[in-house]
Amino acid sequence: MTSFGILLVTVGGSWDITNHLLNKPETFFSPPHALLYIGVAIALIGTIVSFFTWRIISDKQNFKSSILISLLGMALLIGAGPFDFVWHSNFGLDGLLSPPHLTLITGMLLTAIGSLVGIFKFIKEKNDSRFNYLSVLAVLPIWLSASGLFHSGSLPFSNTEFFNFNPDPTFAVLFASVAFPFLVSFCLLLSSAVSKYQFGVLSVTGFLFLVVSSFTAILPNSAILFTIPFYFLSLIPIISADLLLRFVNHHKQSVLFVGGILGASFLAIYFPLTTFTYNEILTQQTVWPSLIPQVYFEMITDVFLITLIPAVVMGIVGVIFAKRVCNKILAS
Amino acid sequence: MDKKYIASLLGILILIAIFFSVTFYIYPNQIYQQSNLVPIPILDVTLSSNEIQNGESFVLDVVSKNTGDIADIQIVSIAFPRLDDTLDAVKIKNYDFTQSPHYVKIGDEIGAKYSGGKETILAQYPSIEAYSRPVPSGTVNIISVQITPPEPGIFDVYVKSIGIPHFTDASHYPQEGILDHQSELVEVYSVTVKP
Repeated sequence: MTSFGILLVTVGGSWDITNHLLNKPETFFSPPHALLYIGVAIALIGTIVSFFTWRIISDKQNFKSSILISLLGMALLIGAGPFDFVWHSNFGLDGLLSPPHLTLITGMLLTAIGSLVGIFKFIKEKNDSRFNYLSVLAVLPIWLSASGLFHSGSLPFSNTEFFNFNPDPTFAVLFASVAFPFLVSFCLLLSSAVSKYQFGVLSVTGFLFLVVSSFTAILPNSAILFTIPFYFLSLIPIISADLLLRFVNHHKQSVLFVGGILGASFLAIYFPLTTFTYNEILTQQTVWPSLIPQVYFEMITDVFLITLIPAVVMGIVGVIFAKRVCNKILAS
Repeated sequence: MDKKYIASLLGILILIAIFFSVTFYIYPNQIYQQSNLVPIPILDVTLSSNEIQNGESFVLDVVSKNTGDIADIQIVSIAFPRLDDTLDAVKIKNYDFTQSPHYVKIGDEIGAKYSGGKETILAQYPSIEAYSRPVPSGTVNIISVQITPPEPGIFDVYVKSIGIPHFTDASHYPQEGILDHQSELVEVYSVTVKP
């Protein structure tokens, strides 16, 4: 329930970025904000239920870290609401990176991590393949929250009337080129590893990420609807990675190879928002929302070649890290 | 390793190679050759009266339509070259644009030459900018302003519309007219104010 709440928060947050890009909302009260705070309410109820359930179970120690991280995340999430409202009231339209947004995203990430720890322990405890797909619900909110955090550190959407929190363009490109490949392979392998590489778990996680991204970043912008088939081509490396893990029995070299493939695919998976990050350095055009495909496809071949090596390396680092994190959670 | 196993691996690797080729080379080349979107704004402007007594008001109604491709932004600008640095003489009666109208005062930095904000000038006279974003093809918006000229004489109002992105002359209205302080074409509507 907590994970589902955070999933709604991340969907609302991602939709809010696109809404700011397209419509320039003038008030705090907008549909994406409504979805976001409904998600906060559901996550809060989930955390409260988890806390009181935890108090009456015998194996308290096993789920203690999960509960504590979730509670800390929820405290930040709840605090971010009024903070955001006050910020909007005083400084008008805010950018992507602002103190209340950073508080919100950190809260989302911590709550999602707390939920993931709990769900992973639950999957281990049940030791039943029917529960393996719960890892999708555990990983997706983390993937989306961390994507929001990384976008905040790389997109030039934070220059407002009162503050300019835009990242330096060179830093943004370097950061995006290492952070996103890492995140893609880390999250996908994490979802698969806890299910002992059961075929389908990695693919479903990747598919749902693409669905959420297309619903929040592509569908609201009618000028770029024609890119949806292109966007879902990213399922090819995701399903291929899942198949490879199955065929080669998650042998160490094959896992590293999977990491490289997933890392190298990040440019397609993070369409359309990365257009704005790389445009700052490569073409420096004014990217109106309807021009996103033209700008993206004008530079994407060059960006792919430039970022290929760091993306593959970070993809490999991502899978190594994912295996360690998974082992640590399940061993504790 | 058996042949079936190797064939499966080879199949996956070919699939991945196809993905990278299509995504980062073939598809980009196809899309890049597509022409840009061309929003085409048109305006229908009516004045409540061409002649008024000093101290009286007149109403200017502007109906804007996008007859071209989707616009990211469509702006309708109503400017008052005979007014000084305030817009006390102008009152917005109603509008249905998706964004709040923006008041431009003398000295404000504003875009010029249909550059989408890349080239700017300092405003020489006040204006009102009504705008929606995004504006799908066929969208109609209205704005109605009541104006009370401050003194007798000929009172001019400049009206224009710009669709963004602006790549061709079709994305602005009018196509002919006089150039305003932004080096952009405007239609001039005049009202005689009798003493």
